[in-house]
Amino acid sequence: MSVIEVNKLTKYYGKSRGILDVSFKVEEGEIFGFIGPNGAGKSTTIRLLLSLIYPSSGSAAVFGKDCIQFGPEIRQEIGYLPSEVFYYEGMKVLDLLKYSGSFYKKDTTKRMYELAEIMELDLKRRIDDLSYGNKKKVGIVQGLLHQPRLLLLDEPTSGLDPLMQRKFFDLVQEENKRGATVFFSSHILGEVQKLCSRVAIIKDGSIIEVQDIATLRKDNYKKISVTAEGLDEKYFAIDGVSNLQKENGSFNFFYKGNINTLTRLISQKDMADVTIEEPTLEEIFMHYYE
Amino acid sequence: MNIFLRELKANFKSLLIWSGIVILFTIVGFAKFSAYYNNPDMLAILKDIPPAMLEALNFQAFNLTTVTGFFGIMFTYFALLLTISAAMWGSDVISKEERDKTVEFSLVLPVTRSQVITGKALAVLVNCIVLNLVTWGFTIANAQQYTPDDRFNGFVAITMLAMFIMQLIFLAVGILLGSALKQYKRAGSLGVSIILATYFISIFDKLNEKLDFMKYFSPFNYFDPATLLQESRLDVLFVLLSIGIIVAALTAAYLTYSKRDLYI
Repeated sequence: MSVIEVNKLTKYYGKSRGILDVSFKVEEGEIFGFIGPNGAGKSTTIRLLLSLIYPSSGSAAVFGKDCIQFGPEIRQEIGYLPSEVFYYEGMKVLDLLKYSGSFYKKDTTKRMYELAEIMELDLKRRIDDLSYGNKKKVGIVQGLLHQPRLLLLDEPTSGLDPLMQRKFFDLVQEENKRGATVFFSSHILGEVQKLCSRVAIIKDGSIIEVQDIATLRKDNYKKISVTAEGLDEKYFAIDGVSNLQKENGSFNFFYKGNINTLTRLISQKDMADVTIEEPTLEEIFMHYYE
Repeated sequence: MNIFLRELKANFKSLLIWSGIVILFTIVGFAKFSAYYNNPDMLAILKDIPPAMLEALNFQAFNLTTVTGFFGIMFTYFALLLTISAAMWGSDVISKEERDKTVEFSLVLPVTRSQVITGKALAVLVNCIVLNLVTWGFTIANAQQYTPDDRFNGFVAITMLAMFIMQLIFLAVGILLGSALKQYKRAGSLGVSIILATYFISIFDKLNEKLDFMKYFSPFNYFDPATLLQESRLDVLFVLLSIGIIVAALTAAYLTYSKRDLYI
């Protein structure tokens, strides 16, 4: 059974587009990346899953249950970390977390203290005295304290320093090993690359592609750099070469196609240097974003 | 239950402030009254004021030189204070979640939107009850120095009950505004505007007999303190009308809040 099943989900805010005809499935136990530039519809999708907003058409189900009809029941098992966290300002961190925990059927106290210790969160302070990063830590503890079966993370790392980011990723991976499914929305490709097994790419409200990270990189371009005497652009004018650039006497380009064709071409010249690299996800995605 | 308790705590400061205002108002009011108390000159002055004006200000039915009569005139001002606080609490308790952007926390918790409204509405209801009792208590306490007649306590009791119904009406209207308005920031000020508008309707209505039908549109006319003094009971028709308004407003609030997108 899929943990998330989104079917032709469409959302308009008045006349402006939220998302269009979005369909995908997230399977139990996977870490699923949701990638796209700002304004592509990532937050809209997550808010629809949480029934904070309602779809214009289409449907979404979590744990096999419709998001609207079974909203509160589903949310018992969802942990959500929004990109910006806002809490009741007059409250102390501890009171807020206890308040949040009181809504879940499980006992959350023990896990709450564990998480607070891992994230080095001072429970005695008031919410309005906290810095942005510290509020984010409250968000992490609050989102995880009931050991949810599904984690919805919406650009979760903004505001965290690199050390805390790492602790956070460790936590997410730990939760995932425990059996939690993770839906990870981000525009930072490096972190998605580190964590996720599959990704959906969303642009202008529509899903462009859903792929394994591994396949995505395999089927893709190689990044080639060659340095040799007497080369010019025309020499590499074969099928599959793109983005050819000359830089300090070397040529950089992307190549997609039979690699032997290219190596033969290169071996005919006296090369000073050759590198063939996997492109980073960044470079792959720039191709989609453009 | 936890929503109710948290809201009660969050609204406590506001309850203290409103109680302070009401207490201050009682003290100042009774201090002024000490000038009218058993003062025949006052009656002479009132004779020179045009009757229509007196009617509009509720001075006609009451003898301003007795504490019962004085409270009859104070009724409107207490009613204004209490209904304004009710409307503001009602709209604010719902709309502040969107204003402070805390909906992404509070409505992601495993609760239905109806549970949210219920918990919050009950918390502000407690506020309204407490403020009503504070007004009642301080009125009785302040009146003691002026040897109130035997009708006084009964009259205050029935007017406070009338005021409570008015509080409930505007609490329900406030909750509806907070739940339904897209421009949630305006919910509170719109609530107060409605109160002032209905208050002025009630004044014009008294000034002009042709406008008598307007009395149904203004809760300030539902329970006339002069009639309350004479009959010592609430008009059943208007009690039913009030219940109708409260039920309609709350139903609309639950329905719209459960069906609409939250503004994030």
